[in-house]
Amino acid sequence: MAARARQVVKAYGTGETRVVALDHIDVDIARGHFTAIMGPSGSGKSTLMHCLAGLDNVSSGQIYLDDTEITGLKDKKLTQLRRDRIGFIFQAFNLLPTLNAIENITLPMDIAGRKPDRAWLDQVVDTVGLAGRLKHRPTELSGGQQQRVAVARALASRPEIIFGDEPTGNLDSRAGAEVLGFLRRSVTELGQTIVMVTHDPVAASYADRVLYLADGRIVDEMYNPTAEQVLDRMKHFDARGRTS
Amino acid sequence: MTVLKTSMRNFFAHKGRMALSAVAVVLSVAFVCGTLVFSDTMTTTFDKLFAATSADVTVKPKNAPEADDDGPKNGKPESLPASAIARVEKAAGVKSVEGGVSSDSVTVADSKNKNMGPTSGGPTLAGNWTKNELRSMEITSGHAPRGPTEVMVDADTADKHDLKLGEELRTITANGDFKAKISGIATFKVTNPGAAVFYYDTKTAQRELIGASGRFTHLSVTAANGVSDAQLKQNVTRTLAGDAAAYKVKTQKESADDDRKSVGSFLDVMKYAMLGFAGIAFLVGIFLIINTFSMLVAQRTREIGLMRAIGSSRKQVNRSVLVEALLLGVVGSVLGVGAGIGLAVGLMKLMSGMGMELSTKDLTIAWTTPVVGLALGIIVTVLAAYLPARRAGKISPMAALRDAGTPADGKAGAVRALFGLVLTGAGAFGLYTAGQADKASEGSLFLGGGVVLTLIGFVVIGPVLASLVVRVISAVLLRGFGPVGRMAERNALRNPRRTGATGAALMIGLALVACLSVVGSSMVASATDELDKSVGADFIVQPAGDSGKPLTPQSVRNLRDAPHTGHVTRVREVPMKITTPAGRTESESLVATDPTYTKDLRREAVSGSVAGAYRGNAMAVGEEFARKHHLKVGDKLTVDFDHGRTVKLKLVAVMSDDTAFDKGAMYTSIATAERYVSAGRMPLDSMLLASADKGQEDAAYKALKAAVAEDPAVQVMNQADFKDDLKDQVGQMLNMVYGLLGLAIIVAILGVVNTLALSVVERTREIGLMRAIGLSRRQLRRMIRMESVVIALFGALLGLGLGMGWGATAQKLLALEGLKVLEIPWPTILTVFVGSAFVGLFAALIPAFRAGRMNVLNAIATE
Repeated sequence: MAARARQVVKAYGTGETRVVALDHIDVDIARGHFTAIMGPSGSGKSTLMHCLAGLDNVSSGQIYLDDTEITGLKDKKLTQLRRDRIGFIFQAFNLLPTLNAIENITLPMDIAGRKPDRAWLDQVVDTVGLAGRLKHRPTELSGGQQQRVAVARALASRPEIIFGDEPTGNLDSRAGAEVLGFLRRSVTELGQTIVMVTHDPVAASYADRVLYLADGRIVDEMYNPTAEQVLDRMKHFDARGRTS
Repeated sequence: MTVLKTSMRNFFAHKGRMALSAVAVVLSVAFVCGTLVFSDTMTTTFDKLFAATSADVTVKPKNAPEADDDGPKNGKPESLPASAIARVEKAAGVKSVEGGVSSDSVTVADSKNKNMGPTSGGPTLAGNWTKNELRSMEITSGHAPRGPTEVMVDADTADKHDLKLGEELRTITANGDFKAKISGIATFKVTNPGAAVFYYDTKTAQRELIGASGRFTHLSVTAANGVSDAQLKQNVTRTLAGDAAAYKVKTQKESADDDRKSVGSFLDVMKYAMLGFAGIAFLVGIFLIINTFSMLVAQRTREIGLMRAIGSSRKQVNRSVLVEALLLGVVGSVLGVGAGIGLAVGLMKLMSGMGMELSTKDLTIAWTTPVVGLALGIIVTVLAAYLPARRAGKISPMAALRDAGTPADGKAGAVRALFGLVLTGAGAFGLYTAGQADKASEGSLFLGGGVVLTLIGFVVIGPVLASLVVRVISAVLLRGFGPVGRMAERNALRNPRRTGATGAALMIGLALVACLSVVGSSMVASATDELDKSVGADFIVQPAGDSGKPLTPQSVRNLRDAPHTGHVTRVREVPMKITTPAGRTESESLVATDPTYTKDLRREAVSGSVAGAYRGNAMAVGEEFARKHHLKVGDKLTVDFDHGRTVKLKLVAVMSDDTAFDKGAMYTSIATAERYVSAGRMPLDSMLLASADKGQEDAAYKALKAAVAEDPAVQVMNQADFKDDLKDQVGQMLNMVYGLLGLAIIVAILGVVNTLALSVVERTREIGLMRAIGLSRRQLRRMIRMESVVIALFGALLGLGLGMGWGATAQKLLALEGLKVLEIPWPTILTVFVGSAFVGLFAALIPAFRAGRMNVLNAIATE
């Protein structure tokens, strides 16, 4: 397993105002798989991802990255862990405006003081099709190109696991498909582990496995989904949500 | 109404960010108000003192020096005969007349030969104890002096030197010295700002201070009930009729006014100097305010866009920002006025520490002070916010729809670059012209213009220079810090206008520091150089400190008798009126010396030979005087000595004026002067120059020091001492100026803090992103610190460069006045530069800490 969550609870506030975002969740993220997390707004899907990635702390329970328990780690260790073992792709604002594309891509390794693996870097850059635009600043790139740079950055340091938070949320469908295609290939061809939060059934269909969250609990899962299946399942939830 | 409401809400929503700008306003206003309160308090103190010490009407001999003149050069005060008392008593409306003796040509020493006089530059006053003194003093222990061996001292001096009743003091005057035991201590009923006062009985005072019995220096006349001072003055003047021309009669108010004039010019200089520094702090504060409002407007772009979209007019947006500035100005100024009063009290305490007593009882707050403070603070703040407000008004409603990211990075425009270059060029030309000028007065105009133009030019061109200079500094400094350094560099570069303005604020203060330190060290270097070149004397004997008191005859006698000295040259200044053959008369003074003077001070003769001036009835003048009056060697000049006869002296030499010492001085021999000035009226020696016997330098030095061991008012210096003394004096002056500039620099540092703090808020999302992908807190803090250091060093580099340019130009210009050597004080410049880096580190402390504490999730959460 690349990552595991055991009885994870995340709650905000106390007493009357207490809101439980994650309610005793158990999750296993398989190595070399592409996992999508879906659910309606407020279901806790983003919170789950943030906790798994060590961006947010949990109220109780344990989270493991490989064999390392990351719950309870101090900020310094956690930062190192994010830097060396995790990759991130956010919905927007993924790149530092002051750095050009290649500088953004190598930033995590630069921060760590590591030399990027040249051959691998070239391969990644090639894969995401940015070879001609490496010296451009983010403001000189289209939204799709910016997200591809973000994907390249996440891949470049060969992290154990990449977390994506609606990575195609801000893109039109063609650019989104491109980015998702890269993510899919990096899993299939390079054996990368990816966890992605999304509310888009089409995006989810690129995954090997979809987890459904509602009210802070995992309510269902699906392997090798198609967009139609995902959509159906979601309609089902919505209907159930309305009746209950 | 809604405009006001939104302004208020915005103001209070950003109180943290406003706080730093408010501090700048507070500091500047406080400096202005503090200066006004402080100088008003000083004026009050002196007014009260002079009102308390002056009699209803005072009668003085006609020749008595005016209050702002130096003391008598011959060491003896002018006096009037005791018979005048009886004459004045006859005047109508006189209640009583007292003969008073007062002299400031004394030195009082304790048994260890320590000077009991004030160290703050205040006078040592000696006199007789009369009823008139009771207006301002009361005896608080012991009794008034009753015989030749008793002296009474004022309580402040007694406290300062821990003097007790019965202790023996030695009073040194031009008439010799005498010992007396302390019989009493008198305390001032008003604040005594710093004089040391000694009282003797009348006979002793007459004999020792005037050198003649039956004479007084002044008469204190008290009016009978119901007689006004003016009426009394008229009556007294009438009584003295016929002889009235020999006397000066003054009412209390006239005496007090005259006395005030003597300190007034000093107080004014101090006041305007301090106000000047307050002005510089204001100037720096303006940058801080402009920057803060620019950043607030930039961060609120979306909000303002929304306001515009839903129908706010440009004017309303514009006004809402100005109203915020108004609030800031009001809050800052009100606090500033309060802080100013505190500052004045602090300054008074500081002055007390330095020996100038001031009492909070006299604290004077004129109604104009808060008015000036408030008006200045509010107007300056609103004016400074005008540009950002106008920019806010220009924000299009479309801004509401755009992505909220960091605000568009301000680029330094080409128009700005050109404009700045033109200004800087014009300023540089002004400086160049000043450097080439052959008349100091002409050049100083160009210098002033050049300084102002280059300063404005640098401020305008600052953003353009920022991109360049920051790259250079980073290349040198940040290379070793890898990606963190690179990001710090890029951050400093991303908004050149902001970096430029922040750096410019620091630049102003540091430019002045650099300029003054260049001028100061050039002064020391030039004087040292000149000393080596033209002063042949091994020793210089001067009045200690800046007392300006002439050397007493007995000290001069002892010094001339000192062993191991080759020769001792006496130097005295003899006032006179000189009339040229063409009939033009000017008031000048002759430097009368012994013939050995030519060995002690080498000054070239342009024509003739100066040695001749030391033969009988001959003199030498400076070349400028000679040129002005078309004089040549051989001409006869008519010299009318003050207190002496009129004679014709032959001009035997015209001396070069290309010299730092004695520029323009006219020479004659002491023998010649003594022949024509009446005995007892001859000025005392103002200085002695001495040489040692060959190889006996140390012995001679010791012997000279020993010769005046008992006269603490005399200072014996060899050339090394003299140079050190000069360096100390310049150093002290510079330190004072640096202290005053410190305020402007503090305001500039606040500016750096503010810029960084706002940048950090602006970059919340970026910081979150960097933290998410693995930038550690420590690296983040380091990044912000380095950005701060780069901005500070940018300001320092510009400021030091500019200031050294100004300083060098000033030196070139002043070379005409003897400032021949340019010396750049590299240690000071380097210290300031390195210090600026620390200032940058310091300014980044809080912003970096806050950035480190930022929640990663807040930063990256999608809205």
